[in-house]
Amino acid sequence: MESSELARFEAVVLPHLDAAYTLARYLTRNAHDAEDVVQDACLRALKYFDGFRGEEGTSARAWLLAIVRNNALSSVRRRSPDAVALEFDELQHSGGVADEHPEAALLRSDAKETLARALDRLAPEFREVIVLRELEGLSYKEISDVAGVPVGTVMSRLSRARARLREALT
Amino acid sequence: MTHSSFEAQVDAYLDGELAAVDARELEAHLAQCPECTRFRDGRLALRAAIATHVPTFQAPPALRERIRAAAQGRGRGSRRFAVRNWWRPLALAASLAVVALGSWSLAVQRAAGDRLTDELFASHIRSLMPGHLTDVVSSDQHTVKPWFNGRLDFSPPVFDFAGRGYPLLGGRLDYVDGRTVAALVYGRRQHVINVFLWPAAHGPTGGPNTRDRQGYHMTHWTTADYTYWVVSDLGLGELQDFAQLLRQADSNVQPVTAYPGYDRDRGPATDFALRVHLEVGP
Repeated sequence: MESSELARFEAVVLPHLDAAYTLARYLTRNAHDAEDVVQDACLRALKYFDGFRGEEGTSARAWLLAIVRNNALSSVRRRSPDAVALEFDELQHSGGVADEHPEAALLRSDAKETLARALDRLAPEFREVIVLRELEGLSYKEISDVAGVPVGTVMSRLSRARARLREALT
Repeated sequence: MTHSSFEAQVDAYLDGELAAVDARELEAHLAQCPECTRFRDGRLALRAAIATHVPTFQAPPALRERIRAAAQGRGRGSRRFAVRNWWRPLALAASLAVVALGSWSLAVQRAAGDRLTDELFASHIRSLMPGHLTDVVSSDQHTVKPWFNGRLDFSPPVFDFAGRGYPLLGGRLDYVDGRTVAALVYGRRQHVINVFLWPAAHGPTGGPNTRDRQGYHMTHWTTADYTYWVVSDLGLGELQDFAQLLRQADSNVQPVTAYPGYDRDRGPATDFALRVHLEVGP
């Protein structure tokens, strides 16, 4: 890599390191694995960076996050090969306190733990859209680039993910 | 369009991903459908809860260093580095570094700005929950203003605009941007307006700047004394009207602190009166 290319890498990719690490943390659910995943992803990004010119409107952030995402998912699969995506069990968790004001429930002092647990229980394809949209503020188009699914799928996954988080909290 | 298809659009609408024409249609529907409005409010509350409770993470510094080192290792190993044109990559790297630094500091500023609007937005939503709107309930500015004494390290200016259709509903303490701030609550029909204010840093005065946030409007300005943020689901026109009232009332009062010669019993000194005339006159 030429040093101009190196500078370009540092300017274009490194600003998204926190976003990459956050996504890896939520997908691997583990700080140590997240570091490994991000490091591997960045080395891979470095290797293929010559070819990255932001074609077809792909942002550098979406490009890096796509690599991180694929690394994270294969790391999770490697670690527990027969772990089926742990889907949120709607039947088991839908029995909430009926007469509590749902908005108030969202801001209870234990909402933090409840929300973290609910997010953790979401299947990875739902968890990732929440992280990418709510925490990283990616557009639907960028999320579609990261997850490799059409924008319409991003939209319906977000809706379902949010519906599940709300169920968990009420 | 059917009712259920409106509900399906609320997420895209709040994400700012709905085409303008669909957004207008949805807004019209929301204005007359309590069920969809409840659905939207539930989504807004969820967002506020996620913004408050679900953290983002910073990449550990050691990880950042390892990646930088790996990148530089590749840079040193390159054979394409031509000695003849040794200055070219350096010049390019330097200019890119300048660009990177510029966009980095912009990004940091923007991130800080976003965090603030996130916080204000979450506070506004939280204030709408039962029992959260006011700590002191009064339409009397002379009750609300003294209530802040001893609770804040500044004394916020409080006005009532009931005569103009924006009655004062009360006030409360809030916590924004790492400090305790005053939140004044005004009403307009069934809408709630939250005015957050705290002493301004010694920077430039400016504004008002308006921004939209998930169907809510925020307007922001800084005077010599205070930073103001006004948040409401009120239409933009009315919100700006209200902001104008507040700015005017505030600019009439503020010189009091700037003119030590002002005598409370005898009224303002003439230069103060002149200044008021200049500022609010036609």
